[in-house]
Amino acid sequence: MDILVQLIVNGIMLGSMYAIISVGLTLIFGIVRVVNFAHGELLMVGMYATYLLGAKLGLHPYLAAFPVVVLLFVVGALIQRFMIQPLLKAEEHIQIFATVGLSTALVNLALLLFGADLYSLQVPSVRESLRLGGSTLLVGQAAMLLCAVALIGGLHVFMHTTPLGRAVRATAQNRNAALLMGVPVERIYIFAFGLGSACVGLASALIMPLIPVTPTIGSYFVLTAFVVVVLGGMRSLTGAFVGAMIIGIVDSLSGYYIAPDLKEVVYFAIFIAILVFKPTGLFGLGRGTE
Amino acid sequence: MESLTRRGALAGGVALAAAPLLGSAALAQSGPIKVGALFPFSGGLALLGDESYRGVEIAIEERNAAGGVKGRPIQVVRGDAVDPNQAVGEARRLTSVERVTCIFGTFSSSLCLAATQVTELAQIPYFELGAISDPITERGFRYIFRTNATASGFANMMVDSIRDAVAPAYKVDPKSLKVGIIHEDSLYGQTVAGYQKKRVQELGLNLVETLPYSARSVDLTPVVLRLKSAGVDVVLQTSYQNDTVLFFRQMREQGYRPRAAIGAGGGYSLRDTMEAVGAQHMEGALNVDFTQFRTNPAGAPGIEEFVRKYQAKYNMAPRSGHSLCNYMGAVVFLDAMQAASDLRAAAIREAVLAVDKPVGSTATGWGAKFNQAGQNERADPFLMQWQGGELVTVFPASAAMAPVKPVLGTA
Amino acid sequence: MDAPATARTAPATRSAEGLGGLTNPRVYLSLIALSLLLILPLVSGSSFLIHVAVTICVFAALASAWNIMGGFAGQLSLGHAVFYGIGGYGTALLIKHFGLSPWIGMWPAALLAALVGAAIGYPCFRLRGPFFTLATIAFLQVTRLLAIHFGDVTGGAAGLIVPLNPGWAWMIFYEKVNYLYIAFGLLLLALGASWWIRNSRLGYALIAVREREEAALAAGINNSGVKLRAVMASAGLTALVGAFHAMYLTFLEPETMFSLTLSIEVAMYALIGGIGTVSGPLLGALLVVPLAEAARGWLGGQASGLHGFVYGAALVIITLTMPAGLVGTFGRRIGGWIDRLPGGGAAPAVAPLLPPRPVEGRAGETVLEGRNLVRRFGGLVATNDVSVTLRRGEILGIIGPNGAGKTTLFNQLSGFLAPSSGTVAVRGPDGEMAAPRNPDEFARLGVGRTFQIVQPFGKLTVLENIMIGAFLRHSGVAEARAAALRVARQVGLEELAEVEARNLPIGGLKRLEVARTLATEPSILLLDEVMAGQSQADTQRMVALIRAVRDSGVSVIAIEHNMHAIMSISDRIVVIDSGRVIAEGEPRAVVRDRAVIEAYLGEDYVDAQGL
Repeated sequence: MDILVQLIVNGIMLGSMYAIISVGLTLIFGIVRVVNFAHGELLMVGMYATYLLGAKLGLHPYLAAFPVVVLLFVVGALIQRFMIQPLLKAEEHIQIFATVGLSTALVNLALLLFGADLYSLQVPSVRESLRLGGSTLLVGQAAMLLCAVALIGGLHVFMHTTPLGRAVRATAQNRNAALLMGVPVERIYIFAFGLGSACVGLASALIMPLIPVTPTIGSYFVLTAFVVVVLGGMRSLTGAFVGAMIIGIVDSLSGYYIAPDLKEVVYFAIFIAILVFKPTGLFGLGRGTE
Repeated sequence: MESLTRRGALAGGVALAAAPLLGSAALAQSGPIKVGALFPFSGGLALLGDESYRGVEIAIEERNAAGGVKGRPIQVVRGDAVDPNQAVGEARRLTSVERVTCIFGTFSSSLCLAATQVTELAQIPYFELGAISDPITERGFRYIFRTNATASGFANMMVDSIRDAVAPAYKVDPKSLKVGIIHEDSLYGQTVAGYQKKRVQELGLNLVETLPYSARSVDLTPVVLRLKSAGVDVVLQTSYQNDTVLFFRQMREQGYRPRAAIGAGGGYSLRDTMEAVGAQHMEGALNVDFTQFRTNPAGAPGIEEFVRKYQAKYNMAPRSGHSLCNYMGAVVFLDAMQAASDLRAAAIREAVLAVDKPVGSTATGWGAKFNQAGQNERADPFLMQWQGGELVTVFPASAAMAPVKPVLGTA
Repeated sequence: MDAPATARTAPATRSAEGLGGLTNPRVYLSLIALSLLLILPLVSGSSFLIHVAVTICVFAALASAWNIMGGFAGQLSLGHAVFYGIGGYGTALLIKHFGLSPWIGMWPAALLAALVGAAIGYPCFRLRGPFFTLATIAFLQVTRLLAIHFGDVTGGAAGLIVPLNPGWAWMIFYEKVNYLYIAFGLLLLALGASWWIRNSRLGYALIAVREREEAALAAGINNSGVKLRAVMASAGLTALVGAFHAMYLTFLEPETMFSLTLSIEVAMYALIGGIGTVSGPLLGALLVVPLAEAARGWLGGQASGLHGFVYGAALVIITLTMPAGLVGTFGRRIGGWIDRLPGGGAAPAVAPLLPPRPVEGRAGETVLEGRNLVRRFGGLVATNDVSVTLRRGEILGIIGPNGAGKTTLFNQLSGFLAPSSGTVAVRGPDGEMAAPRNPDEFARLGVGRTFQIVQPFGKLTVLENIMIGAFLRHSGVAEARAAALRVARQVGLEELAEVEARNLPIGGLKRLEVARTLATEPSILLLDEVMAGQSQADTQRMVALIRAVRDSGVSVIAIEHNMHAIMSISDRIVVIDSGRVIAEGEPRAVVRDRAVIEAYLGEDYVDAQGL
C-alpha cells in the first residue's frame, strides 16, 4: 500500500513536469494552429540557458527563470515571425517539415556547441526531500506542481480579463472574424508563439536542477508532451493538466507493475488509442480529425 | 606493398578498374604505411570515441619516434562512424580509397560489428581496442583481433565479485545475498546483463529481480521501489552516466540502502557521476572496468609514462580510461606488425597470434595472448571502488591499491 | 461520335504507349541519367564510389516508396522506418531460424510490412495532417521499444548478425559491385512502381483524395480503399529495400532499423526533390547523399553535429523558399526544354472515343426515392420528413429559400449525410432498387452529384479533373482520357482542357463541376446550383446541356435559384421550406401555390395581393 501511494505521489510529480512542458505546446497549437515539432528543442534551449546562467554567473535556476522566460519569448516570437508566418497558408506537410527541420537544426547546433556531454546544475536545496505521510517528494517537484497550477490559473485569468487576452481568444476561435473586428491577427500570433515558448522557458528553469541537459533531451519530452496535449483535447489548458497527471501516474505505475523499459510503450499505446478512437481527447474538447 | 594492394583490390572485385591506380601504390612501398582509425568522431558517441582515438594517436607517435614499422613511418587516416551505415561506408572508403594496411577502432560494439563485416571480406586486419560485445570475436573471422575484455568478462567479474569481494568483506555466505540485476536497455546493458544472469546461475547465487530500463529515463523510482520491496542486497547495474546518477539519487530519496552496488564501467567510472551524486553517497560503490589511472603502477608498467605524454600532448588529464586501453592495444598490434614477416594480412595474423605477454606487463596491467578467434585471453577487467571520492582498484590483489570496504553510502 | 478527333489522336497513342516510347526524350533522357548511376561507379571501380552509389539507390528507392504514401496519398509518415525495419528483421530472422535465402525471405517480410501498414493506416487515416504524422512516430517508437524488449526474438539491443556466406544465394558478396546491381534493380522497381501508380487510375484517385476528399467520393472513389492500397504498396517496397540494406550492412539493431532519423531523412529527400512527383525522390537523394558523404569527408571529425545542423537548416530553408521541391520549381521549365529534343512533345495516349454507357430502363419508373427523410443537427431539424421521388427521364427541380434544407436533402440523396431517420433507395444498373450506404457506393450505382461550392482539383488540368470522374467507368488511362475529352467538348471546356483548374473563372469551374460529374456517366444526375454565377449565354448553354443529358436517358434533380431557368427545364418542381416539402407539382401549378409565395415573399405580401 505504501508503495502504491509512493508510486502515485511520484506519478503526480512526473505529471506536473509533463504539465508545465505541455502548457506552451497547447497554447501554440490552440492559437496559431501549428503543431510545433520543435517544441522539445525550445525546452533544450531553455535548459542550456538556465545551465549557463547557473554555472557561469552562479544564478539560482529559479532566479534564472526570469531572463530565460524573456529569452524564450523572443526566440518563439522570432520563430513565428520568420518561419511559421510565411508558411501559415502553405500546405500542412510543409509546416510539419519546417518545424521538424528546426528541431533537427537545434539539436545539432547544441551538439556543436556543447557536445554530447550531460550538463547538470548542482542545487542541493531543490533536491531536498520532503516527507509526506509515508511518501517522499523533492522540493523541486513540489515547486513544479505549484508553478504548473499557478501558470494555468494565471493564463486563464489573463485570457479572460485583459483586452490582449480577449484578442488572443478571439483569434484562436475565429481568425477571420477577429481580423474583421480589427484584431491584428499576425501580431497576436507572434505574441502567442512567444507566450507559449516563454512557458517552456519557465518549465526549463524548473526542470534544470532536477534533470541534466543533453542535446537530445527535447526529443525525450516532446513525444510525451504530444501525448499529454492530445489526451487533454489539444486546446484546453485544464485538459492538458489532467492529461499530464494521467500520463505521469501511468508512467509511474507501469514502470513498477509492468516493466520499467515498457512504460513508454504503455503510454504511446494510450496515445494511439486516443487518437484513433477518441480524437477529441479524453474530455471531448478538441479535434484530431477534420 | 604493391602485391598487398593488388590482393586487396582483387578481393574487392575491382582489379580491372584499379589497374591504372596502381602507380601510386608502387610509390607507397617506400612511403608511409597507412593505417585506418575508425571511431565515432561526431554524433552522440563523439566524446568517448575521441578519447579512445587519443590513445591510438599517442601509440602511433611513440612508434614513429622510434623509427616506425619496418623503417617506414605510420600515417593515420581517420574514419568517422556515427552509425552502422556510416561505419560500413567509412570502412569501404578506408579499405578501397585509402588502401590502409589495417584499421584500429572502434569504441562502440555496433559500429565494430558493422565495419568488420566489410574488412573481413576485404581481408584487412581489424584491431579492436575498446568494444566489448562478445560476438565480435565469435563470428569465425580470421582478421579481427581484440585486446580488451568482453562483455562476458565484465559480467563474470561483476558476479564473481559478489563471491570474492562483497561476501568476504561483509563476512556472510554469498548464497544468502539477494542479487538484483538492473541495466539500461541498449546493446551495452542488454549484453552485459545477459551474461550476468548466466553467471549468477552458474554460481548458484540468489537472483531475485532483473529490470531493464531506458537510459534516457528521467525517473527510476519504480526500479528503486521494486528492488526495495524485493529486499535486494547486491545491485548489479550496467549503466551510463545519467541513469547512474539518477539511480543513486533516487535510492537515497526512497531510503533504499543495499549492501553493495556494482557497476559495469560506464557511468560508474566517471568522476562527473561521483560529483553529481556526492562523494559521501557514492562511497563504497563498486565498479568493474578497464584499467583506470588509479592503478598500482607496479602491476601496470608504462601507465605513468602514458599519463605524462597525454598531459603534454592534450594539455589536460585523461578524460577516462578509454585512451589508456586503446593505447595499450595499439602498442601490442604495432609491435606485432613490426615482428611480422611482411605486411600482408596473413603474415600480420601469424604475428598477432604469436604475441605472448604475461599479465602485468603492459600499461593496462593486462597481458596479451590471442586465441584463434582473435580474442586476447589475458585481459580481465579490474574491480574498483569509490573511496573518499577516488576510484581505487581493489581487485585483483596484484593491481590493488586498497582493500574492499564493506559499505555503501555514508549518509 | 467525333471521328476526326479519333483520327488525330490515334498516332500519338502508338508512339507514347507505356515505356515503349523510347523515342520520347523524357523517357530516353531519364534512362540515360539513371544508367549513369550504374555506369560511373563501374568505370571508376572504386569500392567507395560503389558504396555511395548503393546508398543513393537505397535512399532514392526508400524515398520513392515513401512518396507513394506521403506524396501521392498525402499521408505524411515520419515512421516509415517501421517498414524498413520489418523488411530487414524479417529477412534476417528467416535466414537465422529457417535458413531461408534472403531472395525468398524478403517477400514474406514485405507482405508482413504491407499488412502492418494497412493495420496502422486504416485507423489513422481520419487523423488530420500533423496528428497522422504523430501517430506514425508513436508507432515507430513502440515498435523500436518492443524490438528491444523482446530480445529473445529479435536479438534485442545487442543486434542481429547476418552470417557471412558469400554468394548470390545469400546476397553477401566479396565483389561489392553485385550489391550495386541489386540496389539499382530495387531503385528501378521502386521508380517503376511509382511511375505506374502515378499514371494509373489509382494515381489519379490518390491525388483526388488528397486534394478533395468529398469530390473524390462523389466520383465514386473509395477513399480509404485507395489510401490503403497506397500504404501497402509503399510499406511493401520499403520493406524490400530494408531487406536488401540489412544484407548490405550485415548487422541489424533496433536503433538503426527503427530509426526516427532515417524516417525523417527519407521524407526529406522526397521534399527536396519534389513531393508527389515520380522523379523528385530520386533527384533529392541524388543531390543530398553525395553532398552528405563529401561533407563527412571535409567536416567529419572536426565538428560533431555540423552536418546535422546543415541538414536541419536546409530543410527549413527549402520549406521557406522552394516548398514544391526541385521538380515542382524547375520541372516545368526543364520539361519544356526536354520536349524540344527530337521526338519530344508527343501528345499523351488517347483511346478511340467510345459512346457513353447507354442508360437502360423503363421510362417513368422510379429511379431514386427518398422516403420520410429526417436529418437533425443538434437541436436543428434540417429536413423534416421529406419524401421525394425521381422518375426515369424527368427533370425534377427543387427550389426553396436559403436555408430551407435543399443541400441537406441532396447530401442525403447522394450518401454524403446519413439521414437521422428515413431511407434512400436507388435503382441500380441491374434494375433493382438498392440502399447504398457510402457516397462512393451511390456513385457506382449511377448517382452523380455536383457541389454548390465547387470542388475542383486545383493542381490538375481541366481534362485531368474530368478524367477523375471518367475513371469510375473506365479503368484504362487512355480510355478515361477519351471519355473526358468527349465530356469536355459536351460542356464547352475543350479549349481549356490543358489549363490548370485553379486558373479557371467561376463560370468555368461550375461547368467543370458538371463535367466531372457527367464523366462518371451517371444515370441519375444531382445538380446543386450549377447556374449560379453564370453569364446569360452560359446559362442558356447549361439549360441546353441539361436537356441534352436528359434526352440521353439520364434522370436529373436540380437545385436552382435561377427561377426562370429552373421553371423552363423542370418537368416537376418540389418546393422546400424550413425542412419540409410545402408544394409539389408542375412548374406552372407550383408558382401559383399560396404556400410557395408565402415562403418566398412573406405572408404580408400574400395578404396584400389578396391571394
